[in-house]
Amino acid sequence: SSHEYKLNFKKSKEMCLSYIQDAMLQKQWKKAAEFLTFYIESLEKDFSTEYVSPSEMIWRIGTEILCHHSRSSMKEFNSFTEQMKSLGVKRYLKVCLEHTFHLLCNGLIDEAYQNLSLSESWRFGEQTVIQDKEMKLIKAYKGLLDYYNWSKQKNILLEHGQDGFEDLSVEQEMHSYFRKAAVNLKEIIKIPGVWDLFVKCYVDLLEFYGDHNEARQVLNEYAYNSKFPANPNAHVYLYQFLKRHGESKKSLVSALKILHEVVPSHELMIDFNIMLQKSKKRKRRRLGLEVIFAVLDYAGWKENVKAWSCLAKQVKQIVISEKHLDWIQQEWNSRKDWWPAFHFSRYSAKRNWQENESLSYEKALVAGILLGKGCKYFKYVSHQGCKAQVKRFRILKKFVNKHNPVYLRISG
Amino acid sequence: MEFPAALFPSYFGAGPPQEEGGPAPVAGWGEHGQVLEAGLGRRQAETTFVPRRGGMGESWEPADAAAVPLLPPNASCWVPSVAPQDILYRGVLRRKLQAGKYGAALDFTKQLSHFFVDHPEDVFGSLGQLLHQNFYLGNSKLRVSVRPAVTMPSPTPPLAAAIPSLCPLSSLQRQARDCTIRMTALREVIDRLEARRSCPRQHLVPRLRWFSHLSRDWLFEVPLGLLADCVHEDLLLQWASLLFDDSPTGGALAWLPPKDVGARTGRLVYPGGQAMNHLCILPCGVSLGREGRGHVALPLADTPDFQDVVLEELPCAQGSPAQFELNGRIRQVAAARVDGEDFVGVRSDYHCGVWSVSGRTGATPTPLQVIRTSVPASCLTVSPHLPGELAVCTQSGAIYLWNVETGLQRLRHDPQTMFFRDDSPWRWSDFTAHPRVLSCADRTGLQCLDTRAPERCHFDLFKVGEEAGCQQGERVVLPMYMGRAYSSQHLVTTQFSVYVLDERLPLVPVLKWAHMMKAPPLFAHLTPGGPGRSHKVLLGTSRTQELLLLQYRGEKRGSGVSVGLGGSRSACQLAGPPQKLHSIASCLQHLPAQLPHRHCLLQQRLGAPAAGLAAALQEDGLRESLLVFQLSEAGDCPPEPCASSQPSPAPQEAKRPEEPCASPQPSPAAALRYRRWMKALSKGCGDPPQRTRPRTFGQKRLFTRKELEEPSAPSTLHGQARQRLRQAMQDGGRIQRWDPPPPALPQPLEPAVGDTDPLSTRLTASWGWDWERWWEERTSFNMAQRQQALRERRRRQKRARGRHSLSASFTSSITYQSELSELSDAAPPPLSPGPPREV
Repeated sequence: SSHEYKLNFKKSKEMCLSYIQDAMLQKQWKKAAEFLTFYIESLEKDFSTEYVSPSEMIWRIGTEILCHHSRSSMKEFNSFTEQMKSLGVKRYLKVCLEHTFHLLCNGLIDEAYQNLSLSESWRFGEQTVIQDKEMKLIKAYKGLLDYYNWSKQKNILLEHGQDGFEDLSVEQEMHSYFRKAAVNLKEIIKIPGVWDLFVKCYVDLLEFYGDHNEARQVLNEYAYNSKFPANPNAHVYLYQFLKRHGESKKSLVSALKILHEVVPSHELMIDFNIMLQKSKKRKRRRLGLEVIFAVLDYAGWKENVKAWSCLAKQVKQIVISEKHLDWIQQEWNSRKDWWPAFHFSRYSAKRNWQENESLSYEKALVAGILLGKGCKYFKYVSHQGCKAQVKRFRILKKFVNKHNPVYLRISG
Repeated sequence: MEFPAALFPSYFGAGPPQEEGGPAPVAGWGEHGQVLEAGLGRRQAETTFVPRRGGMGESWEPADAAAVPLLPPNASCWVPSVAPQDILYRGVLRRKLQAGKYGAALDFTKQLSHFFVDHPEDVFGSLGQLLHQNFYLGNSKLRVSVRPAVTMPSPTPPLAAAIPSLCPLSSLQRQARDCTIRMTALREVIDRLEARRSCPRQHLVPRLRWFSHLSRDWLFEVPLGLLADCVHEDLLLQWASLLFDDSPTGGALAWLPPKDVGARTGRLVYPGGQAMNHLCILPCGVSLGREGRGHVALPLADTPDFQDVVLEELPCAQGSPAQFELNGRIRQVAAARVDGEDFVGVRSDYHCGVWSVSGRTGATPTPLQVIRTSVPASCLTVSPHLPGELAVCTQSGAIYLWNVETGLQRLRHDPQTMFFRDDSPWRWSDFTAHPRVLSCADRTGLQCLDTRAPERCHFDLFKVGEEAGCQQGERVVLPMYMGRAYSSQHLVTTQFSVYVLDERLPLVPVLKWAHMMKAPPLFAHLTPGGPGRSHKVLLGTSRTQELLLLQYRGEKRGSGVSVGLGGSRSACQLAGPPQKLHSIASCLQHLPAQLPHRHCLLQQRLGAPAAGLAAALQEDGLRESLLVFQLSEAGDCPPEPCASSQPSPAPQEAKRPEEPCASPQPSPAAALRYRRWMKALSKGCGDPPQRTRPRTFGQKRLFTRKELEEPSAPSTLHGQARQRLRQAMQDGGRIQRWDPPPPALPQPLEPAVGDTDPLSTRLTASWGWDWERWWEERTSFNMAQRQQALRERRRRQKRARGRHSLSASFTSSITYQSELSELSDAAPPPLSPGPPREV
């Protein structure tokens, strides 16, 4: 009966798909390609209304096979994609976008640009939300490629400019690239999202033309608009911009302070700590200690010499000056129940000593001050250091022994 | 540790997921996702781009044709888990129900009837005893001797009601007959119904209807409604767990790598034993040498349930300490290495325990602490930062930080889910880059909370919603901290996709990929790659045993190439196509050929849901191999599948691998392993388990006294039967067939004199293996023709008798001939020596 026929048809179709899937997951691309031809035939008779339409399946499977098949070429890939574009109206933009990505990854930038400009002018009925998003991305990527063209022209001009040679047409071309790029890039970075690449390019354009206010506004928006995700890079870009333009220390500190609150483990925190340690203001030095302690809370920084030396330096300063020991005490209070096991175990003393002597030196200094001279880490490292007759370890031992009362005050 | 200098572009929305649709079968293929500028050098002639997905990965090839069992099969017999066909309704109605989209139809009545049959004492015990005189089980007609004992049981009210009120003050005999039900007839009706089970036109027999109507209210020990509710509830639970069982989330298999880089012997931690309640910590190297194992009892005293979780007594050690017996099925084994010491957490439903295994070879694992929960625990993870610290979640919505030294700290107790309502009581918790911050998850998302101030300090890490571009109906299945690759990254799997999240960029996945697996991935394993190498993530499902190998990278870029912000980290990328690894069931086709029923059993056993996943990376000069262990719920093995292979030494330059041949044969070593495994399996679990107490039936209830009466003079047949019975009972065997043992030489069959009775012809036919045809013939229409044939045969036989003495040795063939002539009813066979037919 027809019902049975349909059922069997459906079954064999599903089986064919699972064969394709298996072959692809086992990297048997030739086999998968053979199965795909059968599968396409079966789809000709298919009128089912499933969510994933058959044309999308063919596009996805075919693209993947063509990406990995040993005998596929760019030409074949292009012709396949062109067919796929005409097959499904709904996915036209998506297919275009993916096609562009493939061209870009293969270094065919000009073809990608052509592809983007073609799809930019595509219209079909009313756009869905997804299509709208895809269209904006297409424009943004086109803007990005315009930016690269602009920067190429700029480099030519700069090189030639040094020779004292001016070419008006190159300059005009460059400006036209700028306009095209700026329009499209400006559009996409208004929408909430992660647009690191686009923002950087746009800011570069603006800076070149001296529109610093606009650039600052863009970066501020990108970093502080609550509709945008909490992207650490947004803060980094802003900080770098401020630094480039020689902004006051105050604004730099405030930018980094916000980054510290968002991502306490960010690598810029080392620079921040160094900057704060140098400061004459007590409050900033206090913040510096907080920052470096917070950095070392994270497992990723556990064996970072630079971070440990920053902490050691500041702690040493405080101990020598014997002022603000309460700062250390406050920081230490919330950590004393787990830092010893996390940082200052005998096992890590052994390992640090074997793998990185200077790390063990910095850590031993901090351990000796925070946990006293009886601490396992300090004892092991200073013993090994003295045994190996390294001078700085002997000085370290003396220093810690001298300042042992500090430990009593901190822990008290 | 550095944050990537630029991330792949993506939209960021808020709110519930917009995208519709269910599991898309090919959603993971053919997409690059987004591209990012690779070289940041602005002075370079051409910019190069890298895709988010589809870049080059390392090439890994399976080392063998299929998974190879690592350990001998779990000797204690395995009870197959419930299959859908056990509890689903299979009948005429099914199609109708399916058409109406009622979802699954559970066969409730079958379960209930199983219960009645399997536990009659519990269901009908006392009333059956009370009423047994009112049930007559004999075959003969109901006769009642007038004795007070029979009339004693007063008819129960419904029975009394059934007695016609018009019944006059008759004799006791009459009354007794009226209040006794002939069960034999009922049984016959039931048997007939049973025989016609598949008949579409079966009707309820009035007698049965009458009986059930009459007795439904009072016959059952437990009120039927209550019992039915309980059975129904359990059935629903069973069905739900069949659809998706989250209890093995995380997997009950762990690999403790060797302490020294050069050493080859790591340890495998897995559950074994009859109920998967033995924790085995097995030293295991490439040579797969085994060491002795002993048992350790784990006595757990009852402690009052004053809170969700209480500390328990320690399992004490005795004998060889590599195996511990626990009093619960092991659901999850989690392990982490801190300061050179391995900590192994073990979760069963109501108990969690932690062991420490020091890195020294030959060191014994020591149990550290056990806790008991009043609600099943759903998660146990071990801290990779601090020794003896674990995170525990219970199904009541509580999350604990468990420190072996300082005890338990409850961080949160919230039976509600975090971001939107979801019924699942499943909770999960894991560690993060900050040793004092824990991630906690339910089906709706992940949050990170500071254990020092859990109420105040927390942030959302992942939300099933538009933020991560989720689909409608998507739910978190397994979160995993991937600190061994990047200290701030987490893996989150859902039934549709895998996500990689960075704590520093919450809510926006740094990587997303539709995994296309047929079941939700409950197990995941991370094998970090060295500098310049990709990290390997293994995903595993339970029910379908799928195993998928993914590679991702996000390493420091070559500092020489780029100017600008040189040497910064690149954003997370998926490298190379995903790869499917052999599952346990894949070795079935390579096992030695089996008898069909054994093959079926084997298929069932090997197809049991997976229970865990682990992997070990082994380096041997330039060759590298990844041993992937998969544990099945049957507790066999962990078989050791494949994926051992070698990446090319320079992964960036990896050329396209050759296509693997279609179905390679397993190596001789693997074949030997298969054979050994099969041998051990058939030895260990060949025979079905003996029932502890065989079911016995009182024959007095089934037969009347007259039927049981012994004949005055027992015949020889009787004697023989008795003898065989006794023999069988002594041997503990069974009697296969009741007819007397076949004689050594076939006796020449004497053709019966005169009319053959139907029994002997039937026996003759069955002797000749043609009983079916005989039956057909017997019931066929052309009786006349058959009579004719019979007549003919009789004549032949008469003639044959005449030369009997001569042709005694041919009789058997003659019988055969005669049989033939009888079979071919219409026309006598040409061979038959009879005269032409007369009508």
